[in-house]
Amino acid sequence: MTEESVWIVQAQQGDDDAFTFLVEAYQKPVYNLCYRMLGEPEAAEDAAQDTFLKAYQNLNRYDRDRSFATWLLSIAAHHCIDKLRRKRFSTFSIDEDEEGQIDLPDRSAPDPENEMAKKQEREALQGLLQALEPLDRAAIILRYWNDASEIEIAHALKLTVPAVKSRLHRARRALAALWENETPRMRAERKPYGSPAF
Amino acid sequence: MDHQPFEDWLLNAEALDSRQREALNAHLQGCRACSALSAVDHALQTARQVEPRHGFVNRFQHRLAGNKQGVRRRNALGFALLTLSVSGLLTAAALPLLRSVVQSPVDLAASWLSGLAGLWASIQALFHAGTVLVRVAPGFVPVYIWAILLFGLTGWSVAWVYSLMRYTRIVQGA
Repeated sequence: MTEESVWIVQAQQGDDDAFTFLVEAYQKPVYNLCYRMLGEPEAAEDAAQDTFLKAYQNLNRYDRDRSFATWLLSIAAHHCIDKLRRKRFSTFSIDEDEEGQIDLPDRSAPDPENEMAKKQEREALQGLLQALEPLDRAAIILRYWNDASEIEIAHALKLTVPAVKSRLHRARRALAALWENETPRMRAERKPYGSPAF
Repeated sequence: MDHQPFEDWLLNAEALDSRQREALNAHLQGCRACSALSAVDHALQTARQVEPRHGFVNRFQHRLAGNKQGVRRRNALGFALLTLSVSGLLTAAALPLLRSVVQSPVDLAASWLSGLAGLWASIQALFHAGTVLVRVAPGFVPVYIWAILLFGLTGWSVAWVYSLMRYTRIVQGA
């Protein structure tokens, strides 16, 4: 039995300290998913807190044969999708930093200009994500930030595996089209075929 | 421009040999759409994970405590409302009685006493009727009917005792 399984069992028996360990362990992926889904630090904080509260309240429904991370991220994703459906974010300010702080380029870095370009790219990417349909966005986030397999994404988002595959393809095509339109300067500077996937 | 098989290679993150890689590089030089797809994939793969503000766990603990307190408060409020509703209903039901008690307590006591006296008189009448029936009935019923009744009653008693014993054995697992 892993340490995490012990915490889960103890938390299911009403041990709040054990649940706190789980919050500590999963705060980053859950917050990141909420931030990438909602695009605002305050909304992400709120959604992440709500996610853990929902998990706490429904802990007895968790099936121990399945991944806890997938279960938790599934709650977070659905919570964010519901929030987005209720209130569509009309605009996303790319002037705002990811953590609400000014992220100056690292002057000690070998190439500060390159650092700034990377930062702009990150912000542009976050802006592009907001253009995707919530379910497609959730699939992309689970795939790229949480290394979830297509089966895990299907479980988390209550989709079939072919549907996940199709949504991932469609989302990446849409992102590429937006990228092409919105970042011509970066594209011009980009070295061809720089993907680390190969 | 024909994007195949390059788009599939990019979308499915297929492992490529050196010849395919060269062909893809050449295609990306001239294809804006596939180049954008590759750039997005790269950006997604290298994007960092955003972390919450310091003290996330503490804020959660406060939220959880607040939530529990809210649940307790809601339960207490629910219980109080239920108690009030039940009390209100009982009071509404008892209101006519209370009104008559307040308005004419002597009349109410008199009606209660007459009701009790009527009940007592009914019980006494039934008792007398039963005694008379027991005294008179043997003269009307022939002896053989009594014998049949006695026989039937005995048989029924034996069957009842037997079934009781059998049921007790089954329950005890005998």
